[in-house]
Amino acid sequence: MILQMNGIKKSFGSNEVLKDISLQVDSGEVVSIIGPSGSGKSTLLRCATFLETIDSGEIIYMDKQAVTTGTNGQAVYVGKNELAQVKRYFGLVFQQFNLFPHYSVLKNIMDAPIHVQKRLKEEVHQEAMELLRKMDLEARADAYPCQLSGGQQQRVAIARALALKPEILFFDEPTSALDPELTGEVLKVIRQLAEEKMTMVVVTHEMPFARAVSNRVIFMDKGFIVEQGDPEEVFGNPQQERTKQFLKNYQR
Amino acid sequence: MKKLFALSLAAVMALSVLAGCGGKSDSGSTAATTEAAASDAAYVFLDESLGVESYAIGFRVGDEELAQTVSGAVQALVLNGTYDEIGEKYPDIKDYLCLKAEDIDEASLPAEGSGDSSYTFKHGFDLDYPPYSYLQDDGSVGGFDVELCQAVCEYLGWGYEAVPFNWDAKDMELNAGSCDCIWSGFTKEGREDDYTWGITYSNNTQGIMVAADSGIKSLADLAGKSVGVQTATSAYDMLEDSQKELADTFSELKVYETYTVAFNDLKAGAIDAIAIDMTAGAFLIANDAK
Amino acid sequence: MTLSTMLASMGEGMLRTCAIFFLTLIFSMPLGMIVMFLRRSRFRIVREITKIYIAIMRGTPLMLQLLAWYFGPYYLFGMSIRGYRFPAIIIGFAMNYAAYFAEIYRGGIEAIPQGQYEAAEVLGYNSVQTFFKIILPQVIKTILPSVTNEVITLVKDTSLAFTLAYNEMFSLAKQIAASQTSFMPFVIAGIFYFIANYVVAFVMERIEKHYDYYK
Repeated sequence: MILQMNGIKKSFGSNEVLKDISLQVDSGEVVSIIGPSGSGKSTLLRCATFLETIDSGEIIYMDKQAVTTGTNGQAVYVGKNELAQVKRYFGLVFQQFNLFPHYSVLKNIMDAPIHVQKRLKEEVHQEAMELLRKMDLEARADAYPCQLSGGQQQRVAIARALALKPEILFFDEPTSALDPELTGEVLKVIRQLAEEKMTMVVVTHEMPFARAVSNRVIFMDKGFIVEQGDPEEVFGNPQQERTKQFLKNYQR
Repeated sequence: MKKLFALSLAAVMALSVLAGCGGKSDSGSTAATTEAAASDAAYVFLDESLGVESYAIGFRVGDEELAQTVSGAVQALVLNGTYDEIGEKYPDIKDYLCLKAEDIDEASLPAEGSGDSSYTFKHGFDLDYPPYSYLQDDGSVGGFDVELCQAVCEYLGWGYEAVPFNWDAKDMELNAGSCDCIWSGFTKEGREDDYTWGITYSNNTQGIMVAADSGIKSLADLAGKSVGVQTATSAYDMLEDSQKELADTFSELKVYETYTVAFNDLKAGAIDAIAIDMTAGAFLIANDAK
Repeated sequence: MTLSTMLASMGEGMLRTCAIFFLTLIFSMPLGMIVMFLRRSRFRIVREITKIYIAIMRGTPLMLQLLAWYFGPYYLFGMSIRGYRFPAIIIGFAMNYAAYFAEIYRGGIEAIPQGQYEAAEVLGYNSVQTFFKIILPQVIKTILPSVTNEVITLVKDTSLAFTLAYNEMFSLAKQIAASQTSFMPFVIAGIFYFIANYVVAFVMERIEKHYDYYK
């Protein structure tokens, strides 16, 4: 078990975005989260990566409990240093890439391993070049993000996340900001990672991709997990009315 | 370093002179006042004046003893001739120096070298006010008031410190103790209660300066004319107060930050007359005639 | 007065003008950073006080501020202000310009997308690293044009030092103009300011070019 989230609740003001969500991700699993916009899927990812704090519930990475529920029902986060330890377990790829524009491609990838994880420069450089090869971007190592296409930028962002050697990688709508003809190259990389048994949670609107690549699909709506299971089950034979409706709208 | 600066700037200046925006300053002028305004001067004063004022030394209210010592020393300098000697160097104001040896009672004056030699007298003045206090041709600080004050300190055995200040901040400087007196062609009239006053060492007349060929002969001729004056001067105060009725006849009373600019406007014909004290005006005229 | 004496006396004033200029920059730029942090403090009271400070610095003439800095210690506490003239000028200028720089920095920081902070956080950068490695370099690029404007204004503002009777170049120009009844000193002053600002613009352009490698 890599990640376990139990009874997650999150509100923005009076708007309850996550209503008692529980989710477990095992090693090597690829989980796709689908659902209409506003269903809470991105918020769930942001809560899992501590970009948002949850109101109540617990979050456990590997064997480390990051968030517990206190006696008053409120979520309690562990201390700063322990949280920093937990953060090493995961990586996140953003919809908008969020590369550092003033760093070259190579520096974007190498900087955190060197300055956050304090690893040796030579070793990191070697790994970074290896990652770029894998992303088919070896030739662009010295380019700056502004000189790259959206698809290339997203692949650099994936390499940047992988350079920290996370146990699990989250993707927040990784292709939504891309032109349709560029989504393929990013999905190909994710598919490749899936083959290498990288544990991943992908929030996506790419239904064919979710169906082909994931081990499990979660359909969320209005802050609840409506349905989850084997992709063939969920896509081929949805049990819930809401799921059917959503998928039908999508196929048009 | 200074030379380097001068050289590099001289090069730039040469260019600007060629470009036609040069002044008249590299004429190698000698003392500003050696050639007093001749009868054929381009600018003259009207016979009628706006009024007379006295220049005295202003001390902090309550500094009676200091005021007395300094005033006494000034009188002693009148008796030993230093006062007139300095006056000779400034022909423009020579006629306005009002202290006469025959009026002075020698008995009450401080003796030469009777001051505390460890004391330094801080002379506050405006460096923008020729010929009383201004920048000399060699770039040093000078003027009648500066020389007289230096002579006073020498006579008493005091140290002298020049404190050139911003005229608008003179009261703050005096009260805060950055200087011990205001001595810079400083008019007493209208300020009698604001300072403890030392001796009046010079008179001055506020007059109207016009171009000789302007046809303006009297104050009445100024009706409908444009007249310039420097802000925060006695001439300005008079036109706002005792001569307000006269000022109302002008088409315009133009207030300048410095007389230099006003005089250039007069030369350019942008204004018809300047209200100014006679000594400062004579200085402008003499300098212009060179 | 010969042209060379005039230039020599004004040259000394130019050195004083340069002293004000450089010292003001050296102190006000880092100080502006601190003011900006206070302005963005999470404590409301600190934010409000900083806002008032900025409002005063930007809302009152620098000339009055200089008078207040210099004479304030005497009038408020009866302290002796001998030898305090030049420090007061630098304090006055630095405090005033820090307020302007703080607002420029703040604008620059607020222009950085939230995603940059989030990316840095997820990658494990601590807040100091995030600020100095990720945010600040981008802020500098964004604010350079506004900083150039401010620096050019400073070159011209140095003449306000005369409020405290500090004989910088422009007050000397006025004094020489009065004693020589000549406009020449003003011409020299104008050329000096022009050249100084030309140099500033040139240097800033080089710095901007240095940051041109990305958009």
